[in-house]
Amino acid sequence: MTTTRYDRHMYALMNDRRAAAVHATTTRRRLAVTAHVALTAVGVGAWIGTVFGPGWGLALVVAGALLPWVLLTGVLNGSTRGLLELRGRMLDERQLVERDRVRALAHRITLWLLVAAVIGAGAYSALADAPLRAAVTPVLVGVLAAHWMMPLWVAALRVQDELGDTEDEFAEAS
Amino acid sequence: MSEQVHNRLAVVRAERKVSRQALAEAVGVHYQTIGYIERGQYNPSLDLALKVARFFGLPVEALFSLEPFQPLTDEVYGRKQ
Repeated sequence: MTTTRYDRHMYALMNDRRAAAVHATTTRRRLAVTAHVALTAVGVGAWIGTVFGPGWGLALVVAGALLPWVLLTGVLNGSTRGLLELRGRMLDERQLVERDRVRALAHRITLWLLVAAVIGAGAYSALADAPLRAAVTPVLVGVLAAHWMMPLWVAALRVQDELGDTEDEFAEAS
Repeated sequence: MSEQVHNRLAVVRAERKVSRQALAEAVGVHYQTIGYIERGQYNPSLDLALKVARFFGLPVEALFSLEPFQPLTDEVYGRKQ
């Protein structure tokens, strides 16, 4: 199968092991996912506040959250070895199966998130005596962000620790 | 429901002094996939199992089985009571 220069560049990038220590253990990957979820929530919340709120002060929060969010996205993608970033032709059979599982699981989680969002927006409208449409846009944007990011979070949480050896265990002996 | 496929890939790989990376490159998969197979967390396709067997010059049933493998020393020397 033909691969392009872009494919090879992305493959090398996603398999770059220089930052491997950052996501080497389950605990570190969970921390990275938690921080990424928090940064996504803060960033999206601030963006909604900027666009629909009275002032532009929250734009600074969006700008401040952006760089660490990008870096953490890179960490999570690195931990999955580019499971969701690489084209299918750059993945092997096990990775393709894993990508399908991740997408299916993320889809189910997002479905329940949508159900919760609909119920939550309805409850907010009823309890706060506010028009439902006031809650619709922020909820939609929030759910869209979750839908976008959920596969990455799921994939990073499903990554297994590396085994004891890597590539050079028998290099000296052979 | 998928059947657990047992393998002695790690033993053979160690005996032949082949790294996961070298084996992975030879059979065209990511090196982590070799680890997943060795840990029993992924059952390889028939295609991949045959490629691995061909790499080691062994019949596929020497590497993969539906039944747990006996230790190699038991097979070679027999278990002493």
